[in-house]
Amino acid sequence: MGTLLPTCEPSLPQLRPRGRSSWWTEWRRGVPAPARAGAQSPSGVASASASAEGLRKGIAEFYDESSGLWERVWGDHMHHGFYDPHAPASLADHRAAQIRMVEEALSFAALSDDPQKKPKRIVDVGCGIGGSSRYLAKKYGAQCKGITLSPVQAQRAEALAIAEGLADKVSFQVADALEQPFPDGQFDLVWSMESGEHMPDKRKFVGELARVAAPGATIIIVTWCHRDLLPSESSLRPDEINLLNKICTAYYLPAWCSAADYVNIAKSLSLEDIRTADWSENVAPFWPAVIRSALTWRGFTSLLRSGWKTIRGALVMPLMMEGYNKKLIKFAIITCRKPE
Amino acid sequence: MRLLTHNMLSSNIRGVVNGFPLGIEAEKVVEREVELSAEFLRGVFPKIEWGALVAGARALGHPDLLPGEADASMLASDDFLRRFHRALLQLHVEEGALVCPETGRRFPINKGIPNMLLHEDEV
Repeated sequence: MGTLLPTCEPSLPQLRPRGRSSWWTEWRRGVPAPARAGAQSPSGVASASASAEGLRKGIAEFYDESSGLWERVWGDHMHHGFYDPHAPASLADHRAAQIRMVEEALSFAALSDDPQKKPKRIVDVGCGIGGSSRYLAKKYGAQCKGITLSPVQAQRAEALAIAEGLADKVSFQVADALEQPFPDGQFDLVWSMESGEHMPDKRKFVGELARVAAPGATIIIVTWCHRDLLPSESSLRPDEINLLNKICTAYYLPAWCSAADYVNIAKSLSLEDIRTADWSENVAPFWPAVIRSALTWRGFTSLLRSGWKTIRGALVMPLMMEGYNKKLIKFAIITCRKPE
Repeated sequence: MRLLTHNMLSSNIRGVVNGFPLGIEAEKVVEREVELSAEFLRGVFPKIEWGALVAGARALGHPDLLPGEADASMLASDDFLRRFHRALLQLHVEEGALVCPETGRRFPINKGIPNMLLHEDEV
């Protein structure tokens, strides 16, 4: 799979300050190294288990540290909002846009409206603080299990579920999406909302989604990708790889792939009714809004009180915008069904 | 962690053939009342591994709560529904561990959340 590139090199994080004062380096101490791409073969498959452990730990710590801040500013959905292209969005619209993202994804997957066929058992892979889990459980009256690497998020998700009277419908586990702690075929809706970008082995990730899906189940993946490669290309351009590297380091992302790669993986797993769309234009207002929120007094002071990982994540936000503007970063939805 | 969740979790340690059901070491169990929905119970009953539920209830300190075997006709009984509901949804393991049935490996439960992350050599 030529496009699964080792875009995240083990090189120095591009943002590492050189010769700065001690308070800066103080914060930087103890930051685990991101996944070392030296562990990845040219085909992009991560091999060294030590790097996978480091990545998992980095992801868990990043979200342990930054979840609270995000929730205070943005609420319990930790994903992009969905907007009409080119429509201006005020700050108040963003919460509604995040909910719209969930509804648009369900619509795109063409889940049946038939009450007999609505999902009853849902898994939320990379559930954050459970925004999607609670929303879907309420919408369908279904049972939902969420998994996250972050114990802090799992606790918070549970607390929010109790507060919303959903404790009997949703539950949260600390678990790895690449080793889901469920027997085969448990769920009729398999949901991954902006967690795919964290998975170091895309094939294994989709394989697990397919494994825990019951026959006839719907699988929905909404994720960041890089642009599809042209037939004449075997890799992204060096400047593109460079940009993605910086983002990878800050957000604990392993190698990126394209939406076409996801489609090919789904095909290779004999999944059916595979659909994909580029929603990059529909999420365009999101990062500028996040940046603006960080620049408010409340956002800024909260950021200062968070740890280095969160601050670094915030500093890298303009790079996300740059990636979108250059049509390098894509926001993609991929849906499919497990054969009956 | 409720027994409803326990009924759906398994150990995926490499080499384990049958990682279900997980054993339960219950150190702290609390009971929280939640409204009974007969419709829900009837709907979920076919998907429940009854043996695992019975073993779970026993591990949580309620060995006589459930009959050893059950079939769908018992769902007509209010008494059965109440017991089923209590075992499935009201009992929570707050602290303890889940135990892989083949390797004995413990997955800790803290504040009601099971940690199912595998170590590097288990993958």
